[in-house]
Order: sequence, then structure tokens, then C-alpha cells
Amino acid sequence: MRAAVSRTDERLETPVGTIQLVRSGAGAPVVYLHSAGGETTNPPLEDLSADHAVYVPVFPGFGESEGLEQIDGMEDAVFHLLDVLDGLGLRSPAVIGLSLGGWMAAELATRAPERVGRLVLASPVGLRIEAAPVPDLFGRRPGELAEDLYADQSHPMAQMMHLLDDWVGDVTKMVDLPAGMLMPMVQSMAATAKLGWNPYLHNPKLPGRLRRITAPTLVVAGAADRFTPRAHAEAYAAGIAGARLAVIEGAGHMVPMERPEEFTAVVREFLAATGG
Amino acid sequence: MPYPALPPDYDGPAWVTCPNELYDPVLGHELYNRYIDELVLAEELGFDGVCINEHHQNAYGNMPSPNLIASILARQTERMKIAVVGSALPLYDPPTRVAEEFAMIDVISGGRLIAGFVVGGGPEYYSFSINPAEARERFAEAHDLILEAWTRPGPFEFSGKHYRIRYVNPWPRPIQQPHPEIWIPGVGSLETMEFVARRRYAYMGIPYFHFDTFCRTYDLFREACLREGYEADPLQIGFLAPIYVSDTDESARAEYEEHFWYFVKRLLPGIAISPPGYFSPRSLPNVLRGGPSFVTNVADWDGVISGRFAIVGSPETVAARLTEDIARLGAGNLLGLFQMGTLPADLTRQSLGLFAEQVMPKLRAEFGAVVSGTPRTPGQL
Repeated sequence: MRAAVSRTDERLETPVGTIQLVRSGAGAPVVYLHSAGGETTNPPLEDLSADHAVYVPVFPGFGESEGLEQIDGMEDAVFHLLDVLDGLGLRSPAVIGLSLGGWMAAELATRAPERVGRLVLASPVGLRIEAAPVPDLFGRRPGELAEDLYADQSHPMAQMMHLLDDWVGDVTKMVDLPAGMLMPMVQSMAATAKLGWNPYLHNPKLPGRLRRITAPTLVVAGAADRFTPRAHAEAYAAGIAGARLAVIEGAGHMVPMERPEEFTAVVREFLAATGG
Repeated sequence: MPYPALPPDYDGPAWVTCPNELYDPVLGHELYNRYIDELVLAEELGFDGVCINEHHQNAYGNMPSPNLIASILARQTERMKIAVVGSALPLYDPPTRVAEEFAMIDVISGGRLIAGFVVGGGPEYYSFSINPAEARERFAEAHDLILEAWTRPGPFEFSGKHYRIRYVNPWPRPIQQPHPEIWIPGVGSLETMEFVARRRYAYMGIPYFHFDTFCRTYDLFREACLREGYEADPLQIGFLAPIYVSDTDESARAEYEEHFWYFVKRLLPGIAISPPGYFSPRSLPNVLRGGPSFVTNVADWDGVISGRFAIVGSPETVAARLTEDIARLGAGNLLGLFQMGTLPADLTRQSLGLFAEQVMPKLRAEFGAVVSGTPRTPGQL
């Protein structure tokens, strides 16, 4: 891992409202689209920021970002992302998306292929595969969900979800949740529901559109992912011309958090091989 | 219309995923007819109306379509109000279906419908896969469409965000003009209170919370009315509570307690699931404040009685309690839930009879005559 550079927490005006933008480093641009967890950084991004300009636009409804009421589904999300790229003056950056963000990145790249220079899809949702269903995200206890998201339940994020278990899931107990923790969680899930309640975390049209993606593409899967089974990453890799699939041993769904060094290595290798 | 025969070894939720193999349609035949008889009995006993409500895919209340029951009542009763509290508007697409069916019930019954509108419970958003993050928007838009369908001469075009209909022109139109009375239940969401206050509809609290939560909720509703520039009419406030009357306080508890606990411990689990986006960030803190006072968190019978989760006792006890509570709440409508959980038909009828004979006259003398009802089974005053 290289030395991390400082991050700045900025605001970006977009047509749907003011959004939060976390920026770090300098160099070739990398845009990171976060998961339903709304993370604004993770160890691989810190590493990449040593020699890349890393942009994390926080999606409306997450963190400090406004404008969720203007987002009714994935089409709105893609137009919003195009506005974000325009607002940042990025013509065709590398786009890395995790889970929900991976789905958004794939949708962006099918609809505006010229705006995505390189594409990294980490544990992307977005497809429905009959034989490999994505388990429920909404309405489950955090501890139960952690079992699907993390291969190793002793990971600090998994531990935190287990701690939250006593509160969330039963509205009659949520009042005890520490102040400041509840609202971001509630809002992130509402934002995720806007995109993925029905059809559940997928777009039935997406498989037929993957052929439109022109960017060099890397699909990263956790070998122990219980949320999006391997078949999802395989279907993405098979549907996108020339895409490479990297399977990371010991990782669950949240690959960049659970296996940061391995994730960073495959992403760096991919970026180097496709232009730096 | 609760399902009273969940197997003793079933300890899962009664909602959304409660396996429907557990439902016995032959028993269901008996139950529907029994519950309808109890609703009809309410009119014979002198109640002003009955309430029925809508919930889907659960053992808590087997009434996915209250309009079917209301249409039976429209024919089997002659005088009392029939309050459907309510129709879960976002579950109907297009919602003109609600305008049509309510108008049918109103016309068949000769103008006895009270039209209730609800957002639908959290579990319904799982059962129907309607997006909960759009629930409030859909509710408000469906409401506007229904009101317009009832009051504006058709045909006209409705063009909203969620519903677009080229020709709105429902036949029949309601017999009550300009439209049936509208009641809206709520659990403390500020948006709902303001919505009701602005339109001068009636607000009814959802039961199963501690009495203090009701007091706070109705105080907030009254404040919402004041902000609209008027004082709430008591008839805009409905107090909904489980009621059981027997000869003595002791016999009341002995006859009732196990049936109440079946309801709380077997039929409520799963009801409180809150899908994403269902409450607004603004309303959530107030709703959550009420959470710990939900009846599933009550430890024992003393807690049930002192928290007014159920009003149980002799006619004297029940009359005294209700007099005090109605006065404190400023409620103009008392909506009694007279059947709960496994409470059998004979005890339900006995309690209804005692209430009608010995409690109702006292309350009428104290407060004057008003309408009310109950979800699931008879009981109004």
C-alpha cells in the first residue's frame, strides 16, 4: 500500500440538488460509485489516490447529498451521473462501482459508453439469475445481512452490523439507536429502494444491453460472496466484450473492504494494462 | 378477522412470510361467517357503525378486501354506518378502482359508507412489492384522483406522476354529496396528521400503543389543526381500543387474558416491519418515540391495564375508564375492538351485549351520541 493523500469533502451542484463529493489525489481520474452502504472511502481508494484523482460522488439520499426526491429509478440515476461527470469536467474517466454502485456503473456504460474509459464492476448487482437469486436486502436484520455480505464475521464492519442487530428491523425498538446513526441508514435504504425495490436489484433489460459497453472492463468477485453468487459476475463478464473476471479468494460481497490488498492489486494491474 | 388457529409450535411472524399452508379454508368458512354475524349483531345492539380494515397476507386479520365484507354489510344491515378504514390506496392501480367500489358500497347501503384511506402497513409493501419509497407520494396522488373522481363531472383527464388516466368518469357516483365522510388512521406520522388537518377529515389513532402515546399523538393532531386555523372538532378524533366487558373485573380478566395474549404474541409479530422510505425523515423520530410503548413490549397484565392497551372489566369499570380516557383525548368517536385473537364467539357476544346494555348508555349520557366502529369486529358506540 502506498501513502494515502488527504481527502477533501466538497459540494457539487447538480440539477437534482447539491451533492457531497469526496475527492483525493491527483492523476488519471477514477470515479468510485459506492455501495448501498454509502461509503466515501475504503483502503483501495486511499491507495489509488496516491497516483490518481479519485472522485467519490455521494448518490442523492446518501450522506449529505440532496435530490433523492428527483430520482425515481435507474434512468434518473444515469442522467444524474452524467450530470456529475459533466460537473467534474470528466470526459471518460475510469469508473469503479461496488455492488449497487457496480450496477449503476454498468447502466451508465451501456447508455453512455463513450463516457466510461475503463470499467471496474466489483460484486455488481443488477442482474437476475434464476438459479442464483440475490437474497433480501430490505427488511432483514443487519446481523443476518452481515452473514451474506462478509465472508469473515470478525471483520469490523460485520461486527458493527451485528451490534446494530438489536435495534434495526423492529421499528418499535429503533428509538434506542444512537443519534446520528439512524437517519443515514434509513435514508440510504430509502435511496436504494428507489432504484432496486421492484424489480428487485436488477434491470431486466440490462443483460441485452451489456453488449453496448465499449470500455475495457474488469469484473471482480469475492469467492465467498453469499449476496451476489459467482454466477452474477460471470454473467457480466460473459456479456461485456473482452471483459476480464477476477475472483478473490477469501472475500465475501464487500471485496474492497474485506480483501483490500488483493482488490487493489487486481485493479492496479487492470488500470496499468489498459492505459495507466 | 384474526386467524385463531396458528399451531402452538409455530413461532414465526404472522405477516408476509407466515406460511399459508397453515390456513385452513374449512375453518375459514366458519370464521368469516361468524365474524360477519358479529358485525351484523352490532347494529341490533344499537351501535352506530362498524369498522373494517384491509391487510394482506397475514394471520392477523383475514380481510384482504374489506370492500367485500362492506358490501355484504350494506345488504345485511339497514341503519348503521359502515366504515372501511381503510383502503390502502397505493396498492390499487389505478386508484379509480377505490372510487368505484366505495361509491358502489355507498349507493347500495343508501349513503352509510365512511371512506377510510390508508397508506397500507409496512408488511404490505413486501407482499405487493410496491415501492415503499413512493408510498406517500402515491397515497397523496391517489387521494386527489379519488376525490376528483367523486366531485368533478366526468369525463376528464387525470395526469399525475404515478397515475395517468385519459378518461376518468366513474359510474356510480356516491350517494353522499359531495362525497362520503373521510377517515384516516395514523401511527403518528406528522405528514399524515397535517394531511388530515388540512382537509378537515377525521384522524384515528392506531391501537396497541400505550395511552400516553395516544395523548401525544392527538395533541399533535390538534396542534396541526390549529396551524390550519381552526380547533379540531371532537368528531375528527377517533379513539380505537380493545374493549372487553364481563360481569366482574375478575371474570373479565379470567375470560379475556389468554385471548389477548394470543393476539399480541402470535398475531402481531412481523407487523412492525418498516420498509425503506416508508416513513419520511421528518416523521420517523415521532413514530419511533411511540415504538417502545407498542404492546409487544409490554411485560404483563398490569402493564396492559395501566397502559390502557385494553379496557377490560365490569361494566362499571369499563364505563369509568372510558369516560376518563375519552375526556382526556377529546375524542368524539370511540372505536371499540370487541374481538381479539382467539376470543370465541360466545364471549365476544356476551361482551358486546354487556357493553351495549350497560356501558353505552352511560357514555351516550356523558358525551352525546356519536358514531364509531372497530376493525375486524363489531363495536361501535
